[in-house]
Amino acid sequence: MAMRDLVTGGAACAVPGSSSSSNPFGALANALIGSSSKTQERLKEIPTSATTYSDGNVYTGTDEPLTTLPGSEFDRPLQPNVQGAEFFRGFHSADQSRLADVWEEIHNPQLPYSQGRGSLTHLPIEQNNQLQPDFDGPPQRVLSSFLHSFVNSNQGGIPFRPTPLPVLGLSEGDKQCIRDRSSIMARHFFADKSEDFINAQVNALLSSLDIDGDIRARGPLPGRFRELEDYWNESQGMMKPGPHAADGWVAEYTQRRVEHGDPNAWAHSFELQHGANGWASEFEHEQSQIASLNQMKGANIANLAAMEQTRMLAHTLAQNNDPKFQNSKFLQFVSKMSRGEIIMEDNQVKPNAVSAPGDWATEYQQQFNGGHAWADQFAHEANGWASEFAAEHDQNGLVDDQWVNEFSKLHVQDWAEEFGNQFGEGALGENSADNWANGYDDYLNEQIAAKQRSETSRGVYEFSDMNPYVGHPNPLKEGQELFRKGLLSEAVLALEAEVLKNSDNAEGWRLLGIAHAENDDDQQAIAAMMRAQEVDPTNLEVLLALGVSHTNELEQAAALKYLYSWLRHHPKYGTLARPEMSDSLYYADVARLFNEAAQMSPEDADVHVVLGVLFNLSREFDKAIASFKTALKLKPRDYSLWNKLGATQANSVQSADAIDAYQQALDLKPNYVRAWANMGISYANQGMYEESIRYYVRALAMNPKADNAWQYLRISLSCASRNDMMQACDSRNLDVLQKEFPL
Amino acid sequence: MPLFKTPFNGYSVKFSPFYEHRLAVATAQNFGILGNGRLHVLDLSPSPGPISEIAAFDTADGVYDVAWSESHDSLLVAAVADGSVKLYDLSLPPASNPVRSLHEHTREAHSADYNPVRRDSFLTASWDDTVKLWTVDRPTSVRTFKEHAYCVYSAAWNPRHGDVFASASGDCTARVWDVREPCSTMILPAHEFEILSCDWNKYDDCVIATASVDKSIKVWDVRSYRVPVAVLNGHSYAVRKVKFSPHRGSLIASCSYDMTVCLWDYMVEDALIGRYDHHTEFAVGVDMSVLVEGLLASTGWDELVYVWQHGTDPRAP
Repeated sequence: MAMRDLVTGGAACAVPGSSSSSNPFGALANALIGSSSKTQERLKEIPTSATTYSDGNVYTGTDEPLTTLPGSEFDRPLQPNVQGAEFFRGFHSADQSRLADVWEEIHNPQLPYSQGRGSLTHLPIEQNNQLQPDFDGPPQRVLSSFLHSFVNSNQGGIPFRPTPLPVLGLSEGDKQCIRDRSSIMARHFFADKSEDFINAQVNALLSSLDIDGDIRARGPLPGRFRELEDYWNESQGMMKPGPHAADGWVAEYTQRRVEHGDPNAWAHSFELQHGANGWASEFEHEQSQIASLNQMKGANIANLAAMEQTRMLAHTLAQNNDPKFQNSKFLQFVSKMSRGEIIMEDNQVKPNAVSAPGDWATEYQQQFNGGHAWADQFAHEANGWASEFAAEHDQNGLVDDQWVNEFSKLHVQDWAEEFGNQFGEGALGENSADNWANGYDDYLNEQIAAKQRSETSRGVYEFSDMNPYVGHPNPLKEGQELFRKGLLSEAVLALEAEVLKNSDNAEGWRLLGIAHAENDDDQQAIAAMMRAQEVDPTNLEVLLALGVSHTNELEQAAALKYLYSWLRHHPKYGTLARPEMSDSLYYADVARLFNEAAQMSPEDADVHVVLGVLFNLSREFDKAIASFKTALKLKPRDYSLWNKLGATQANSVQSADAIDAYQQALDLKPNYVRAWANMGISYANQGMYEESIRYYVRALAMNPKADNAWQYLRISLSCASRNDMMQACDSRNLDVLQKEFPL
Repeated sequence: MPLFKTPFNGYSVKFSPFYEHRLAVATAQNFGILGNGRLHVLDLSPSPGPISEIAAFDTADGVYDVAWSESHDSLLVAAVADGSVKLYDLSLPPASNPVRSLHEHTREAHSADYNPVRRDSFLTASWDDTVKLWTVDRPTSVRTFKEHAYCVYSAAWNPRHGDVFASASGDCTARVWDVREPCSTMILPAHEFEILSCDWNKYDDCVIATASVDKSIKVWDVRSYRVPVAVLNGHSYAVRKVKFSPHRGSLIASCSYDMTVCLWDYMVEDALIGRYDHHTEFAVGVDMSVLVEGLLASTGWDELVYVWQHGTDPRAP
């Protein structure tokens, strides 16, 4: 038998009815003998257009003759590893290098082909057919609905406001995919919007996934929108606070941790992987990051105003007039969003594979779970605490904190040691050793500085577009008047006009903050209050408001900071506070100080209010209720105090009492959106969904921008089996809703 | 007309040039932003009835496009988001597929087009700014065309000249190439915004259509490309794909991020002759059957594949 026949199996190998056969021996034959086999010729034939309904050319898995053919690829034992080895031994006298190449080809199909001709008959079988790790658990669903809301956010033209995510354990590669692809795709589906709107959307996505947002990697087109690009690059430094620039690091670090639970092994394996020079290159990388951080720092404070204008612009451009999208498609966005939230609330974020065994991860996980349990417990209760928990940066802040602390505590030492070893081995020159150490110090400092920056820039105030009060001769007076009348949304506009005109008007910012807080928008409230505090750092009302808002956002550290500042700047209690304390605030200390203050002057309602807030922080709701009640005895006409009492009662599962308190607040201030919404929540908690719907609708009629309330409304609608009104809810059609659910 | 639900988001749909009842669908998880991909091969039942799946191939990254071989009825080329180009042979068992995985593109491979004239070769366009020419019998690309300054979203062979193709890029140009020439033979600054797709008229080998993020489709005559032959306005978002009819020279199908599939006759005044609103998410894949006149298929991020006859409601049962 001719060798060719032996190798190819001759004509018998050609599978009848199929023109392709990936017989590795055929490939060998081709390579060795250098002529194409019949099967290849067959392939070149154009199959006739068979228009009959037949599966003849499709593998069915039951084709006996195929599997019994010797030499066919289905016959596993004939794979090169077994008989192929035999075969090769027989041919060792032949051109060895050639053979080796072919052999390589067959065995390493993943490698790019270095040489040699191929044909369909020797197509390598891809053995490495692994799929990406399938996040089949909840995180996948979370990610999916998350991306969905991103993708769909073009339809309402509204800025993408992501909900917080559990740790998803995205790898660096995944993150890069998300970063690159979403920034390219965003330019397709946000075509209407400005470049910086697109970037803001992508950044919102990336930052909430904790991805380093260097979207310039594949961002704006070269040459187009150059001004915008520059503008963007400038403002990006603001929008993407420092921690993200360090994310490369963070991710690298966590990955290592995952791979080698023992931190000591880290450096070692790094060396193994990258060789000794890896340190140097890593260091270079670091340096460039530090450099870019430094650049960002300079542009920071001065550009806050510019940044706010960017936001305004983006927001203006985001208005979409297309009725089709307003009506039918926006629906899905909202519904997916709210569903995503439900998923997250019901989701016991398990310590899944994602979490590294390291202390950092566990600690974070615990904290996260803690926060979650809290969110679960109170998700449906009053005051919107749970959903305000949904502030994305809150998460970032936590992560970052953990990071810096843990990292500096644990690993500087190991690193230094390891580095010393490296150095001892002479892997690096002296200079680079010094550089490295310095660079590392710089890096740590940067981390801390970046963290601080992130805290300040998180509260970027978003202005409304189309403000009729811009140009008003005295918007502050107008705003105060509107606020007094209870026209909160109007008051917000007037006050925005005021602070746009006089950006260091503390009173304007303060009132704006209060208006937002009463309008059930804590994010904006915090942003405005932070501006007020910047202008007037000792304003007691501002400090108290910031303390309350941060308590609403479950940010204990920040809340304590502001409450303590309140005490410190208070003319009466300032003496109680010792300045050295402000560095490390512990809840117990602060609470003790306020108790002292309360003993000092039991007639001061404010002290009792702060105590009430503090007890909310420590979740001692009974004490909180007592404090608020005391304060109310002193200040019975303070509607916000009634609301606080109601919210606390709701949190301590006294929803019926809460309704009375809210009612008091509403009697005093009928346009108190927050109290209306809270009322709805309390009814919902008691299972009175129809009632709750009426209150939500009322709140929304007064402030249609209260996104939380829309989500609560949706939940209540579905609980009340009023799916018929879902459409109206998703399209935010208040006319229909008000008609259907009058109060 | 029939409907098929894919587990992932649809990215592309193509009728087989050999069997009138057969379709290939490229899909990607999480809108192609992250996750796996799957290539489906579907069969339409002879009479109205469900669409059945006859094969499915999983990939480790989203599948952005698929093209049927013009030379072999069971061979498919898939453009995968990890940059690989994979060949699948339906006549082989799943374990043997993909029969080839070509790793040359350094970024997402976004489109694949099989040469209808020289039927052993195909093109892939990638976000690495290049177009690559491949033949089935070579393990490496024959040529790489690198001139575009940004992602190349599609490349399409001229229906008559086996050496000529056009490419559409995010650098706002479309280019016409002759594979025998060292550089592109024509640069068409066709739109002010990114160009996502292009296709050749099947009856006039000098006419191409380009589809852009600027929501328009423009039809050009490459002999006098200063002004477009026609500008088709009507989509309200970026136009994702454009396709000339294999049966009527002036008929164009398109799909868009506005979730609609549109049919156009660029020769007549009111060019928009059909609008299908059946998708509930971005419509990103559309094709017209070569074998059955008027048969359309579309897919979108709503994870649905529709097949319908022009003039009928895609959603009709």
